[in-house]
Amino acid sequence: MTNSVNTREVILDCLLAVTKEQAFLHVVMRDVLAKYAYLDKRDRSFISRVCHGTMERMPELDGIINQFSKVSVRKMKPVIRLILRSALYQMLYMDSVPNSAAVNEAVKLASKRGFSGLKGFVNGVLRNIDRNLATISYPSRDHFIDYMEMRYSIFPWMTKLWLTSMSEEQVEAIGEAFLKEGPTCVRVMTDRITPQALMKQLVEQGITVATHETREDVLYLSSYDSLGAIKQFRDGLFYVQDPSSMEVATVIKPKAGEIGVDVCAAPGGKSIHAAMLLKEQEQQTDKKGRIYARDLTPMKLALIEENIARTGMDNITAEIKDARVLDEAMVEKADFVIADLPCSGLGVLRKKPDIKYRTSLDNVRELAQLQQEILAVVCQYVKPGGRLLYSTCTINRIENEENVETFLKEHSEFTRKAQQQLLPKDGKQDGFFYCLLEKGAK
Amino acid sequence: MAIRKIRELGDEILTKTCKPIKEITPRITELAEDMIETMYEFQGVGLAAPQVGILKRMVVIDVGDGPMVLINPEILESSGEQTGEEGCLSYPGKAGVVTRPNYVKAKAYDLDMQEYIIEGEELLARCICHELDHLDGHMYVELAGNTIHDVVYEEEE
Repeated sequence: MTNSVNTREVILDCLLAVTKEQAFLHVVMRDVLAKYAYLDKRDRSFISRVCHGTMERMPELDGIINQFSKVSVRKMKPVIRLILRSALYQMLYMDSVPNSAAVNEAVKLASKRGFSGLKGFVNGVLRNIDRNLATISYPSRDHFIDYMEMRYSIFPWMTKLWLTSMSEEQVEAIGEAFLKEGPTCVRVMTDRITPQALMKQLVEQGITVATHETREDVLYLSSYDSLGAIKQFRDGLFYVQDPSSMEVATVIKPKAGEIGVDVCAAPGGKSIHAAMLLKEQEQQTDKKGRIYARDLTPMKLALIEENIARTGMDNITAEIKDARVLDEAMVEKADFVIADLPCSGLGVLRKKPDIKYRTSLDNVRELAQLQQEILAVVCQYVKPGGRLLYSTCTINRIENEENVETFLKEHSEFTRKAQQQLLPKDGKQDGFFYCLLEKGAK
Repeated sequence: MAIRKIRELGDEILTKTCKPIKEITPRITELAEDMIETMYEFQGVGLAAPQVGILKRMVVIDVGDGPMVLINPEILESSGEQTGEEGCLSYPGKAGVVTRPNYVKAKAYDLDMQEYIIEGEELLARCICHELDHLDGHMYVELAGNTIHDVVYEEEE
């Protein structure tokens, strides 16, 4: 006989891939959910919820385990500590799982993975926590840095970095917003369907649809099985995008006949948005503008092309180009340049909680260097009188505000037209930074 | 020790009733070792002798607590019910939903021809039932009805 699918073992393998092999959580989840597409929706959402939650709350879970275990989490075998963490997550945050079931499954899994000798240890630690749930201690707010780590699973270096430019209240609000579950935010391709008509079609399929406070082209979707199963998604009638990212093309305001370059475009959301706005502007004219969507690797190019094909945007050219290398042919040719550059991603921890384990203050500084390097190259593509939009999906002065200041010092031909650091809003918006710069006419 | 070829669904031998083992010969010991190795090679949790083409009443099982050899096994008691996914090394790439007892008590002989009692719940109970069915020429597909579907097996590290 072969073994049947054990959801908790699938979870363990996902978590091992992310923590040991440095795989991206969202990639692991996408592959695993596709592989187990035949499992019922309940099992699949259990897998994704526990994986996401365990990665999200790991600093808190570790803090609790350390209060009850003689062996510190750091010294445990990787398999054992992941079994403990994911079981504890189920005990604390999933009402649908009785604590005894979470403990039993954890013990069985430990023995199945060759650690029969540690069955007693896993059982002991988890039962001990279960008996003493009420006595788990959290640091008080007076010890703000420890408090942020245990309450919101925000690492001390991140709290310290944010406190250099924000109040404790703001930092706590960010931590809180990251832990809120949210619906999937999509942008309606308004060149093909009205938001009202799309909303009606989606609601008819039993999908819960909500609207955005201010943006008419935004819908929030929830209680659907998988995006790929929605015909309107496959037909490109909407695009999954965070409202903060939509600011880029909105602020750029493409005009009829303009040439735009998106220098780090994958997966292509901002290019597609800009291309759509461009088309809308060109409706009554015979002008034909174009967007050049560029990225570094064939894999990223394939992502962009897939999204272009789905949304039917024929005014985008996708091409492989390294943003760090000057493309002579493009110098002073672009009416606008979108520079949404690689960043530490501290604004999107809600959707990608594994980012916080990959990045560090040193990493933030290195990225700021890379961003400077790219900006110095791509700003040359802007025509006199044209616009450069710099954006990141992170929250920190080093990569954002300070980077803009440095750039402006070295490039006096540019002036700042608009700048904003968006902070995450409870499950509805990511943290995001953008700055619109204009190049003076000659 | 060697890895043996696994017979797949459609092979006549999987429909035949197996004969009891009367004494432990070196060939029987070797067969048991080979079956365990073959089971591990293909990431199974149980394997019956007819699956490697031998019509003898012997199965090997390892659901995570180490390998067990069951010679001339018989189910003595069973109770409860569990419904879940089941797959078989003789029908690779497929699985189906089968309802089995949740508790099984069986007797069998070990490689020293000593009789022993084995009790199991959940996966072990399911596995004992599944393997013992093979000894009488039955496969789980007879019980899974139209729930059979494709499965991609885990790539072990």
